[in-house]
Amino acid sequence: MTDTKPITFRIRRYDPDVDTIPHWEEHKLNVPDGMTVLEALHEIKAEQAPTLAWRSSCRMGVCGSCGMFINHLPMLACQTQVLHLGTDVVTVAPLPNYDNVKDLVPNLEPLIQKHAAIKPFIILSNSKEIDEPTGEFIQTPEQRDEYSQFTFCIKCGLCLAACPTVATDPLFLGPQALAQAYRYTVDNRDCGLQERLEAIDAFHGLYQCHMAGACSQACPKGVDPAFGIQLLKRTLVLDSIGFGKKKSSLARVMPLADVVKAIEEFAPPPRTV
Amino acid sequence: MANKPTAYNNRLGLKGWVYAGNYTFERYLYIGHRLSGLGLIAYMVLHIIETANRMRGEEAWAALMGLFASPVFKIVEYLLFAAAVFHAMNGVRLLLVELGFFLGKPQEPIFPYKSSVMKHRPLTYIIMLLAGLLMALGGSSLFFK
Amino acid sequence: MRETRLWSLHILVIPVIAVLLGMHFAVQHYAPVFYGMSVEKARDFATMIERGKSTAQFVVYILLLAAGLYHGLYGTRGIIRELPLSPALAKVVDWGILTVGVLIFALGTYVTWWTFVHPGV
Repeated sequence: MTDTKPITFRIRRYDPDVDTIPHWEEHKLNVPDGMTVLEALHEIKAEQAPTLAWRSSCRMGVCGSCGMFINHLPMLACQTQVLHLGTDVVTVAPLPNYDNVKDLVPNLEPLIQKHAAIKPFIILSNSKEIDEPTGEFIQTPEQRDEYSQFTFCIKCGLCLAACPTVATDPLFLGPQALAQAYRYTVDNRDCGLQERLEAIDAFHGLYQCHMAGACSQACPKGVDPAFGIQLLKRTLVLDSIGFGKKKSSLARVMPLADVVKAIEEFAPPPRTV
Repeated sequence: MANKPTAYNNRLGLKGWVYAGNYTFERYLYIGHRLSGLGLIAYMVLHIIETANRMRGEEAWAALMGLFASPVFKIVEYLLFAAAVFHAMNGVRLLLVELGFFLGKPQEPIFPYKSSVMKHRPLTYIIMLLAGLLMALGGSSLFFK
Repeated sequence: MRETRLWSLHILVIPVIAVLLGMHFAVQHYAPVFYGMSVEKARDFATMIERGKSTAQFVVYILLLAAGLYHGLYGTRGIIRELPLSPALAKVVDWGILTVGVLIFALGTYVTWWTFVHPGV
C-alpha cells in the first residue's frame, strides 16, 4: 500500500439552473503518489459530489478535453499529478476567458471559431490540383521541420485561458489560431497567406500579441504558440516590404511519372519466401 | 427560467492584465512594459504642454523650473528615468524576440518541453541586469552628485 | 496590410527615438558633462531660447515629437482597443487618439517654431 497524503480540493461549482454566480466547495481526499487531478475528481464525484461536472475523455493528454485552472494555472487535469503541485490545498476552477457552462466545463466554441477563421488547411495556388492532381508535392525533411512543431496542437484551449489579451478582448484570435496560421503559412505546399490576412492582419489579429509568453508556458504539448506567433510577425513584416518567400504551387509538384519512379526506387527488396 | 443565463462569463478582464500569479518572469515584464509605456506617453503629453509655458515669458518659465527643482519632483524625475530605462531595455528584448530572433528553430516537441520563453531567458536576464545597472547609475548621478 | 504597416512603423521609429532622446537627455541632464554648464543653467530661459535657434535642434525636436508621439499613441491605442468595445466605440477611440496626436504635435511644433524665431533675450 503506497503512502497517501490528505489534500483539500477547493472546487468551483456553478449550476446555471440554480446559481447566478459560482461558489467554492471543499472536498478532502487522501491522495496517493501518482494520482492525477482528473483521477481525484473521479473519486470525489464517486464518493462526495455526485453532481460535479467536467469534460474529459482520453486520460492521456491527447484529446484536450480536461483543461482546467488548477492552482491558478491552466493545465490538463489528466497530466497533472496532485502531489507534484506541492500544495495541501488544490484549487480547481474552470478555464478562465471562456464562458462557464457548468462546474468545471468551459464553452470552447470561440476557440474553434477562431481556429476556423484563419483557414486551417493547405490553400493551393492552383485549385484544380485538388480535384485533378498532376503529381505529388515534394517536401524535404527540412521543409517539414519548419512547421511540424505546431501540428501537435490538440485544441485544448489552455493558451487562450493564459493569454492576457484574451482576458479583455473577446475578438482577439488568440495564440492557438495564430500559431496555426503560421503552421499553414510556412508549409511549402501552401499559398494562402493573402487569404488569411483578412483575419490575422486586422486589429484583433496578430499584433495584439505582446509576447507575455504565458501561452507557451501553459501549452501541454510543447507546441509553443508564442514562438509561432513571433515567426508569423516576421513573415508578415517581410511580406509587406516585398521580401516574403515566393511560392509557386505548380513548381513543387512532382510529375506522376517521377512519383512512380520514386516508388520503384524505394521498393522493398523482393520476397525471399 | 427564460431569462436565466445559460453560462457564467468567466473572462478575467483587467485582472488578466495586471495579475501574473504563477506565470513566468516575462509575464511580469509584460505588465511592466505596459505600465511604463502608459506612464511615459502620459509624461510626454504633459511635458509638451508644460514646456509650452515658455510662451508666457521668462517669469512663468522660471517659476515652473523652480517647482521642478523641488525634492518631490526629483523623485518623480527618477521614476520617469527608471520607467524609460525599463521600457527601452525590455523593448530591445521584445524587438528581437518579436521578429523571431533568439528563439531557436522549430523542432518536434520532446518532453520536457523548452518553450520560446525559456529559450531566450539568458537574453532576458542580461537585458534586465543592464537595465538595473543603468537605473542604479542614473540614480547615483541624480541623487548623489 | 494595414496593421502590419502600423506595427512596423512603431518598430521603425524606435532607433529614431533612441538616438534623439539620447541627445535630448544629454542636453538637459548631462549638460555638465557635454556642455560644461550646470543643469540649472541648461534649463535657464535664455539658454533654452538660444538653444532653440539652431536649425539642428529644431529638426531634432520635430522628429522626436513625431516619432515619440507615434510610438506612444500607437501603444496606447492598442491597450485601449483591447478592452471590450463596441465597433462604434472602437472607431471613436481610433479617431480620438489620432486627433490627440495631431493636436499635441501641432502644439509642440508651434512652440518649437516660436522658440526658433524668438528675437532672443
